[in-house]
Amino acid sequence: MALLELKNISKSFAHAQGSLRVLEDVSFTIDEGQFVAIVGPSGCGKSTMLRIINGLMPATGGQVLYQGKQVDGINLECALVFQSFALLPWLSVKANIELGLEAQGIPPAEREKRAGIYIDKVGLDGFEEAYPRELSGGMKQRVGLARALAVEPRVLLMDEPFSALDALTAITLREELLDIWRSRDMPVHTIMIVTHIIEEAVELADRILVLSAHPGRLAADLPVDLPRPRDRREEGFNALTDKVFSLIEERS
Amino acid sequence: MLRGSGWQARMASQTNARRMLSTAASFLAVAAIVALFFAYKRYQPALHAPRLRVHARELPYYAFCSFYRMLAAYVIALLFSLIYGTAAARSRARERVMIPIIDVLQSVPVVGFFPAAIYFFVSLAHGRLGVELAAIFLIFTSMAWNMVLGVFESVRTIPTDSMEALDAFGASWWLKLKRLLLPACVPKLVYNSILSWVGGWYFLIACEIITAGPAEYRLPGLGSFLMTAADRGRTGELIAGLLALLAVIVAMDIVVWQPLSTWAEKFRYEFAASSEPMRSLGMLDALSSIGPSITRLMRTIFRPPLRWIVHLLSNRPPFDPAAHPLVVRTGRALRLALIAGMFFILAYGLIEGLTALIRTLLQPWPSATRQIPAATVASMIRMTIAYLISLLWTIPCAIYASENQRFARALAPIAEIVGSVPATALFPLIVLFFIRMTGGMNLASIVLILTGMQWYLLFNLLGGVSQIPADLKEAARSFGLSRIQTWRKLTLPAIAPSLLTGSITAWGGGWNALILSEYFVYRGATHEVFGLGAMLDEATYKTNNGVMILLTLLSMVLVVILLNRFMWRRLYDVATERYRIDY
Repeated sequence: MALLELKNISKSFAHAQGSLRVLEDVSFTIDEGQFVAIVGPSGCGKSTMLRIINGLMPATGGQVLYQGKQVDGINLECALVFQSFALLPWLSVKANIELGLEAQGIPPAEREKRAGIYIDKVGLDGFEEAYPRELSGGMKQRVGLARALAVEPRVLLMDEPFSALDALTAITLREELLDIWRSRDMPVHTIMIVTHIIEEAVELADRILVLSAHPGRLAADLPVDLPRPRDRREEGFNALTDKVFSLIEERS
Repeated sequence: MLRGSGWQARMASQTNARRMLSTAASFLAVAAIVALFFAYKRYQPALHAPRLRVHARELPYYAFCSFYRMLAAYVIALLFSLIYGTAAARSRARERVMIPIIDVLQSVPVVGFFPAAIYFFVSLAHGRLGVELAAIFLIFTSMAWNMVLGVFESVRTIPTDSMEALDAFGASWWLKLKRLLLPACVPKLVYNSILSWVGGWYFLIACEIITAGPAEYRLPGLGSFLMTAADRGRTGELIAGLLALLAVIVAMDIVVWQPLSTWAEKFRYEFAASSEPMRSLGMLDALSSIGPSITRLMRTIFRPPLRWIVHLLSNRPPFDPAAHPLVVRTGRALRLALIAGMFFILAYGLIEGLTALIRTLLQPWPSATRQIPAATVASMIRMTIAYLISLLWTIPCAIYASENQRFARALAPIAEIVGSVPATALFPLIVLFFIRMTGGMNLASIVLILTGMQWYLLFNLLGGVSQIPADLKEAARSFGLSRIQTWRKLTLPAIAPSLLTGSITAWGGGWNALILSEYFVYRGATHEVFGLGAMLDEATYKTNNGVMILLTLLSMVLVVILLNRFMWRRLYDVATERYRIDY
């Protein structure tokens, strides 16, 4: 049985001049352990789709199945990483990371222990008591990542997580993300990442879903079987990048 | 959105000694201003009080009179705020002097200055003109300060690179003003203008009946109409008057403020965190079609004098190799004369004010002076109760608005209209109701203070709620925070700065309401409670004792300044430091 299944998902938003169709009839399944990237032009509804999977917003039509059961409301087995980091500015790094644990009613001692593990994993040692505004963009996103990992989700949802960072920081964080994904002691093995950077998708994912825009439809579902670690200068890498690029171009 | 201006920009943590010093200095300055006005008391105005006709037929005329008074005060306040605010924002040295003055003026209860201002203006111009000027001046003082701070903050927060971009093109001062400074002021100016009109209506109603010693003068207008109707027990006319007032306020909101607010949106630098689709109104289109011709007219009228003012104010006139040396020298001389003249007026006012202050205080103090501390405590208790009641309903309201978009969207326009109906117009009804119910004035007085406080809190809190970024709300939901956890972790911290700004402005409004609410004359009978406001009113309207007026007013000012400096300001600094959203 698939871990996650989307069945004929569609979504439209009420608009001043009628309604705007963002997603139309999107169906796919995700298996445990997959690293899936969703790419598409802006306005194709990729971020919306992530929010529907998380349960933050209801779909207009279709259903989301998690382990065969229909998801209704927030799915706490998923954790979301935001493009804008979405950290609470008045909470310290540690308190931000403990947020999800606190929501689950985990006692303070256990919270502290768990937060400590993930602070260490993402390389935030020494910054526990700092406030988000004192951190650089890269460090902030480490907090966002640690906060999501700390609730030990089965699925990690990432909404353009590296788009607000400079290129060099993004490279480092991508590598660290792959390390986390591969490491045995991490409970999360399934990652869905939304991105508009095609190279990022090809470098990270082992499956790429291409969405077309207006309305967003599933245009292609490509496996990525390049050997890891992947090198951006390799021929296979470039060929795949070009292929995804042309797929997006012809659909928009 | 609705966040009262001014306090944000100045978070410089002052040392205690400097705080004390500046507190003492500002108190002395206000004392001098008060005394200066009272110095004109020796010109006892002889006012002929025409009997006001209370008939619904007269209402359109009265509504017009009230409206033009508001408009005159607003236009003066607008020009004043643009000049003063820009001047203060463009130089650190000027800011250090100019902004604390506004801070003090903003927190001092304007209503207390009523009699003083009347003496002053009636001695300047006798008869109705003097009274009109006094009324316009009082409305001006209730409108100007927040607008000044709005302009100041807007100019101060213009991104450096925008300024540099214009500098790099060698833009003149005039071009910078037109293309950068003024547009940057628009959002805050529009928002503060709405607030100013709300405050203006409140005072207008209270200040159209002007009592100067034994003489009473009723200016034709909605305020005096309502008060006279209530006094004569004419319920029908009272309701008609209230409806007329409501009609003017609603019309202003629909025809002016809503289109202006929509228009002001396009001048924002930042994009609203939780962006709502912009409301488009038919009215706006109508306005934009007649807009250009109005603009052209305004341009021909205002451009030359404005340009001249700007030129005089600018620190460094742009280098112009073609300028004739005579023109340059004349400009420089004019500037010097202007500055010297202002200094002269200031020095004269200061000396005059201080001598008046000393002269008044040297007179024998009446025995009632000893009751001032107790009266202050009594008034503070009333204000605190009113404040707590305001918190009790506005905070839950704001929290609910943060959870329910539909509720928030429905509440905002309703609150805007209801909140801008000046409570002073309802005073007779409220007082009558409570006196009949409880037999005393105490509860009525608290309710009256409440009407002067609650809306500031509600507006600020709703503004704070609307500023909570959508992604933070999403994060809270995504991690499964319960309702109470969301309040604790997200909503309450996020609205803390607005709560403080709201509280500061609410207390400012409360002090004004206090003066109007502890002492009420109805059909010849005086209803009063023991308190600072009642003491002031009694000294003004009954005993006409200058020393007593001055002493009660100064005690009030002292309490206000101390509270602001040592409580609100500190809390505000903590709140903005810790709970600002700027990740």
